[in-house]
Amino acid sequence: MASVELVGVEKRFGSFSALQHLDLSVADGEFLVLLGPSGCGKTTTMRMVAGLEEATAGEILIGGRRVNDALPKDRDVAMVFQNYGLYPHMSVAQNIGYPLKVRGIGGPDREGRVKRAAEKVELGPLLHRKPRELSGGQRQRVALARAIVRTPQVFLMDEPLSNLDAKLRVTMRAEIKHLQHELGVTTIYVTHDQIEAMTLAHRVAVMNGGVIQQLDTPEAIYDRPANLFVAGFIGSPPMNLVPGRIAGGTFQAPGITIAGAFPAAGGDVILGIRSEDVTIAAPGEGSIEGQVYASELTGEAVLVTVSAGGARLIARAPRSFRGGFGSPIALNVDAGKIHLFDEATGRRIAFADRSDGG
Amino acid sequence: MTEGSSLPGAIAAAPRPTRAEPVRLSSRSRRRIAGAARTLTILLVILVFFGPVVWIMLTALKQPRDVYSLSVIFTPTLDNLRTAFASPYFLGSRTLNSIIVTTGTIVLSLPIATAAAYAFSRFRFPGGNAWSLGVLATQFIPPVIIIIPLFVAFRSAGLLDTRLALIIANMSFVVPYSIWMIKGFIDAIPADMEEAAQIDGASRLRAIWDVVVPMAIPGIATAAIFAFVVSWNEFFYALVLSRQDAVTLQVGLMGARTERGDAWEIMAAMGLVIILPMLVLSRYVQRYFVAGLVSGSVR
Ligand SMILES: Nc1ncnc2c1ncn2[C@@H]1O[C@H](COP(=O)(O)OP(=O)(O)OP(=O)(O)O)[C@@H](O)[C@H]1O
Ligand SMILES: [Mg+2]
Repeated sequence: MASVELVGVEKRFGSFSALQHLDLSVADGEFLVLLGPSGCGKTTTMRMVAGLEEATAGEILIGGRRVNDALPKDRDVAMVFQNYGLYPHMSVAQNIGYPLKVRGIGGPDREGRVKRAAEKVELGPLLHRKPRELSGGQRQRVALARAIVRTPQVFLMDEPLSNLDAKLRVTMRAEIKHLQHELGVTTIYVTHDQIEAMTLAHRVAVMNGGVIQQLDTPEAIYDRPANLFVAGFIGSPPMNLVPGRIAGGTFQAPGITIAGAFPAAGGDVILGIRSEDVTIAAPGEGSIEGQVYASELTGEAVLVTVSAGGARLIARAPRSFRGGFGSPIALNVDAGKIHLFDEATGRRIAFADRSDGG
Repeated sequence: MTEGSSLPGAIAAAPRPTRAEPVRLSSRSRRRIAGAARTLTILLVILVFFGPVVWIMLTALKQPRDVYSLSVIFTPTLDNLRTAFASPYFLGSRTLNSIIVTTGTIVLSLPIATAAAYAFSRFRFPGGNAWSLGVLATQFIPPVIIIIPLFVAFRSAGLLDTRLALIIANMSFVVPYSIWMIKGFIDAIPADMEEAAQIDGASRLRAIWDVVVPMAIPGIATAAIFAFVVSWNEFFYALVLSRQDAVTLQVGLMGARTERGDAWEIMAAMGLVIILPMLVLSRYVQRYFVAGLVSGSVR
């Protein structure tokens, strides 16, 4: 097991800068999730840790050892590729056993370990097949089994569950979490899926445009997003964001007025509030008046989109909610759950009664 | 019902120009004519391609006096083969030379070509494509132009009339073409697999051996067959660079053109030995070759 550190790492492809000055430190045994939209540099970061891509600048350390110039095979990492990277001419068993074969582990020892890894990912009966005879999800599980067949210093997993069906994804998620806990292997895990990030991670690094926007525990990222990007990216549905002004301790936007313990020196801000912190009320009984724009049943709740003034807000209503398109409705906002962001910089603004410090 | 069955009524109702009549055959007879035409074409192609082969096979078994008769009924004899193996034709040692030169060319060319193809496919060279194209461009120089310098070079190296000289000469055209054949296949192999192998603990060389080579096998096989065919049939370099010890089958064939005239039956006997491996090849590995040429990709 080992820690992984990226110190001032940059990556340029020609003139295109994929990563700008990345500082990231993953503790020994930690499960770190890289979360971000497509093209933000998650795979690139992983590939640099694995040694498949050279850092343009900065240092990469595994277990305290500088590995910038070490070959992939000498870094002792295991990786699940986004597009599997299976060996098409080898059977599933040979694929999973390859890391052992290369290390000269043979015979019954290898066979046993291959079998155990395959069973963990429910591949038992497919061991003799070739990758092209498998479905996408099955291939992904082969890639996963190949990574867990030995105990490396670091696991690198690039969206390892993206092609599984919802049910298997939940099972595998738990399996990965358990496995990581059991083996205690430092893990860097890439995903688009917030639920995966939230459930798996010790800490989440939210990335955008080659920059880490926030690196913190899942709770902190959810409760105290560091900037507008994180606020809008984390949570489903995304946080309601309303541009407006703070004057005299109240927030004002066209058609919306919210009183609260806002900082006196306000100015132009963006107010953020999660849908579960907005409650619906009968017309005239809330702080925000509007009309139902749409309502969607998600299963355990109804998401009501309300147009109020110039903005649209999503509120989470009990599943019994029935409101026709255009019917009048009022909203109440849990003042203690309000987030404020600087209009110009997008950064979080800390204010009085919140214990978040920024 | 076929179109034809409704014809009489249609004609009665609307008379049409007579020129159209002969074309309006029933579809069944039209199909029959098309079938016959196809069969005829196939027969013609077979005749053109296999006629000479059959002629050589028959001639090789004929006695000298029967050679010019087209009759297929004659008393077969193995005398020609016996004569060809004896002095001055030495079919045995020439066959051995051909086998050694061809095998040597293949065995040396393929690893070199595979390695070069990998390099051209995976690495960026200063000057871009110029290098890989340059390799191919060498082939636009006609052999007649370089044969004299080559001859001089081999003479000063003391390699004239050796099989090694012929192997080297063959490699000069087998390697460049093989590089391009194999490169096409390696280009189609995604890099992640060898990257995966390297992360799994393999060195780059081992990753190439374990992952790239097995997947490039169709391409390598294509190149191998190509190398076999061209070096087995190579004539010009062998003619100039060999005199006695390293003479190959192809050049040896010329030995049957004596002052007393062309000994067709001896040439045919030699020809038999020359085409034999080709026949075997076409029977067993042609499938590979075709697959290799048309697909150019791996799944
Ligand atoms: N070899 C390359 N050459 C040039 N640009 C590249 C190369 N590899 C990646 N990029 C660019 O770098 C950026 C980051 O790519 P990366 O693959 O790391 O994204 P990602 O976060 O993994 O996205 P996704 O979630 O879609 O997989 C992208 O804009 C991509 O176009
Ligand atoms: Mg990616």
